[in-house]
This record gives sequence, structure tokens and C-alpha cells, in this order.
Amino acid sequence: MPVGYSIYVERPSYLHKRIDPRTKLFALCTSFVLALLFNNPAYLGILLAAVIAIGLWARLPLKSFRAYLLFALWFLILGVVIWPFYIHQGSVVLQISGVQFTSDGLLFGLAMGLRVALMVTAAGVWMMSTSPQHITLGLLRLGLPYKAGMVMSSTIRFVPLINAERATIIEAQRARGLDLKRGNPFQRALRYVAVIGPMLVRTLDMAQSLALAMEARAFGARPNRTMITEIRLTRVDWYIVIGCALLIAAAIALRVLGIGVLVRGYL
Amino acid sequence: MVEPEVAIDVNEVSYTYEPDMPLALDHVSLQIHKGDFLALLGQNGAGKTTLAKTFNGLLRPTSGSVSVGGLDIRNATVSSLAARVGYCYQNPDHQIFNRTVSMEAAFGPHNLGLPPNEVSARVDHALQLVGLADKKDAYPFLLGKGERQKLAVASVLAMGSSILVVDEPTTGLDIQGIRSIMTLLRQWNQSEERTIVIITHDLRIVAEYIPRTVVMAQGKIVADGPTRSILSDGAALATAGLKPPQITRVAQRLNHHGVPPDVMTVDEMLEYLHNAFSGSEDARSSLPGRSF
Repeated sequence: MPVGYSIYVERPSYLHKRIDPRTKLFALCTSFVLALLFNNPAYLGILLAAVIAIGLWARLPLKSFRAYLLFALWFLILGVVIWPFYIHQGSVVLQISGVQFTSDGLLFGLAMGLRVALMVTAAGVWMMSTSPQHITLGLLRLGLPYKAGMVMSSTIRFVPLINAERATIIEAQRARGLDLKRGNPFQRALRYVAVIGPMLVRTLDMAQSLALAMEARAFGARPNRTMITEIRLTRVDWYIVIGCALLIAAAIALRVLGIGVLVRGYL
Repeated sequence: MVEPEVAIDVNEVSYTYEPDMPLALDHVSLQIHKGDFLALLGQNGAGKTTLAKTFNGLLRPTSGSVSVGGLDIRNATVSSLAARVGYCYQNPDHQIFNRTVSMEAAFGPHNLGLPPNEVSARVDHALQLVGLADKKDAYPFLLGKGERQKLAVASVLAMGSSILVVDEPTTGLDIQGIRSIMTLLRQWNQSEERTIVIITHDLRIVAEYIPRTVVMAQGKIVADGPTRSILSDGAALATAGLKPPQITRVAQRLNHHGVPPDVMTVDEMLEYLHNAFSGSEDARSSLPGRSF
């Protein structure tokens, strides 16, 4: 999965430019709730398709979903392998030395994989369509203390810097004969101490310099701050929020009625 | 006269970080001889570090070849080249991670697979050389910047490589720190006949300590020769966006009064002036009109 600053993909789309980050965050939460309310793979599959459709509408390239879906694929395989041991309802599909694999067990495993895929992809679409600045700004407007918001955005900002430090440190240690490729995985992991040690020191150092530089520029001198970019909830935002709320209500109703639920008694 | 043995032979090397980026090294050829004490001089982005990183295989040339003591780097791993070419990074904090000074210095030789008694002998020797012998059990992060820099050098010296590359050894050091690290490198070069390559953009340390200078600009070598002739050649330096040291420029302005145009350091200037005013007939007569 891609990490850090590079997730955001700049696109001139309606989702990128016009919808408030708070609305997008609420929509993301909605997708999480819906993912947890259904455990029927068909329903989850439709929701996943809907999320991808939203991403494509936001002009995100199709291949940008690949990393998220590949990541979820592991959970899908894991789900299909493990869940049949616990779910015994439905018709028996195959039997291996006394263990029965039922169709519902396999389908439930599939559903759990799709659930991960749905959540990860939704989070991906959210992060790809919302710049780190807007994510922070949205959270601040929702009541996150400014210092916490600053911590968040500087964390994101420091990812590429720390990555560059890591590359330099690895080079410096390789020049001292460190071979990170030799030996078994355990030996290699131990050798990484030579990289992790200086990295910790360097990051602490960078954090301290940043703190000093910020204090030197009077960070936190005034309790209320103004922002260069302002965000405002438009009518469309409210429609989306109400729509999401209705979706959640409907999904809860369906759950109570048992629709979209393959196996009762499981989340 | 016998040609000195070639330590590093760089032949028509080009290097590019990304396929569509300009060449970081543009058909560079350079011979470094055994026992050379050489400065790679140039502005940021001139290609100094890129070139130096090909010496120990950290970067592999896009085209051209580099051989170290006759060994083509294409046939060697970085960790095996580390035994031949010690590379000391600019910031000691990029490499220090052990709990004691001596453990830190032992990391390199240990990686080379040397027996423990050999490792500790080398560590003791290296720490002795840099003057950290009495701090061998100290916690490295509590040392001052200058001492950490020396420890980084010691930890590379302890590997016993006959070639040493030092990237910006004087960054962030005060004049005393600079003096002690450069004196140390000079002694090591002279007493043990080792080859040293210093990457720097500090003209003063080049003028004062380093006999051979290679000037780089935009991925090319624009001048290569004895430091005294390179640093007094304003036109050559200008191609790399550099100027001769201030004292050299002063000397060149005073050239018509007989001041030699290749004065490199303030000490040399003082020595010249002292001779000129206190007796040496030659110098006095070379100052026409005694116009001072």
C-alpha cells in the first residue's frame, strides 16, 4: 500500500475541489458502518463497486485502486481459508478428513475479505481525493485542537524527509560493510538495528528542531487562529450528509430485518 | 620517474538518477594515484558526491567504468568494496548507533569478518589516531559534534581501507575542529601512504591542507591539478562558479608590487610580507617604489 504524503492525487474533480472534507469524512464513516452492518458478499460487493465508481467519478486512475485491492486480497484469501472452520450452516461443499466446508462458510469468508477491501478502498478514495491540508482543516473545524492538527499535518509532511534520511543512513552503513541482504530473515532483522538506531536519533533531532523553529515563530501565541484556506459546507454537502444518514438508518433497518445478512449472530 | 600506482581509475563515467533527468556525471574520467590527497571541489549539485559514491559501488555508473586497485566495481559488492574504500558521510549522526565509542568503531571491521583480536587492535589504533582513546567507553551521543565527526572518521579508519573518501568533513565545525580533523587526515595520508579524497566546497581548507584539486561543475571535471595552480587560476574556477580564496585575490591585485599571484593562505602572505620588509634583499627589491 502506498504510504504517507504520496497518497493524495491532484485531480480537477468535483469530489476533490467542491466537497467539504468534513462531508467526505462523514461519507467515509458511513461506508465503514455499512461495511459492518452487512455480511452478505453480494451486498458488500455492490458497495465496493459503488466506492470504486465514486473514485472513478473523481477522475482517479483505475490503477490507483490496485494497491488497495491487492492488500485486501490477502484478507480475502485468509477469510476464505479460516471462516469455514467456524461457520457450519449451509450445504457441505467439500470434506477434508472430517472437517466440513460449507458454502455459507466460504461465502462468509469471501464477505469478510470484501469488507476489508471496501473499508480500505473507501479510505483510499478519501485520502486520494482530499489533500492533507484539507484533512487537517476539516478535523480542526470539527473541534480537533489546533496543536493536534499541527502534529497530524507535520507527521505527513515529514514522511518523505524521514524516508530520505533512511536512504542516507542505509548508504552510510553499507559503506561500512553492512550487508542487509545476507543471511536469514532473523539475522537481517538484527542488522537493521544499525539503520533504526541513527534513524531514531535523527527523527528526534528533526522533531526538536521543528519545535524550536515553531516556537521561535510564536507558535501558539494566540488561542484562535485564522486560516489561509477557508472551508464552508454548501447545500450539496448537506444533501450528501443527509443522504449518508439515511443510508445508515436504512442499513440498520435491513440488518434488523435480516436482509443482507448471510450468517446471523456474526457481525 | 616511476608513475605512481593508480588507486582509482574512473573511465568515461556517466550517471543519471532518473532516465529523463540531466546527467549527474557527464563522461567523467579521472585517475587517482596511490598516496594522493585530493579535493573534489565544486558547488552543490556539481556531481562531487555522485562521483565519489561510484568509488565504493554505492552508485553504479550508467555508462563507463570505475576500477579500484585494478578491481572493476561491476564485479564487486558494496560490502566487499568497503574493505578497499572507506567512505565517511557528512553527518556522523547518520551512522552512529552503538552504546560505546569503541563498539561504534568496531562495527566496520566486524562487518569485514575480521577476528575479534584484530578488530580490537584496529579500533584501538584508530581511536588513538583521532584522539578518542581515552573516551572509548563513552556514550557516543554525548560527545560533541567535532568528536562525533572524529568518531565517524575513526570507525572508517578502523576498517583499514587504503582509500578514504570523506564527504564534507568540516561542516558545522568550528575552526579548531576543522584544524584538528584536517591535520589528522593529513598525517594519516603522509604517514601511512594512504589515498584520501575530500569532498568539499570550502576553498580555505583546500588551500591550506590538500595538495591536489579536482574542480567539478555540472557533472564534468573542469580543472584538475596541483591546488596551488588551480586555486590561483581565476578563469578556471569561474567556470565552476568559484573564485580564488580571498587572500589569493588580494595577492593577485598586488601582483604589480611583486606579490606572487599564487599565495594560498594568510600565513603564506604574512611570511612573504615579513621577508619583504625585514631583510631579504630579493623580496625588498621586488617591491618597486616601496610604495607601501
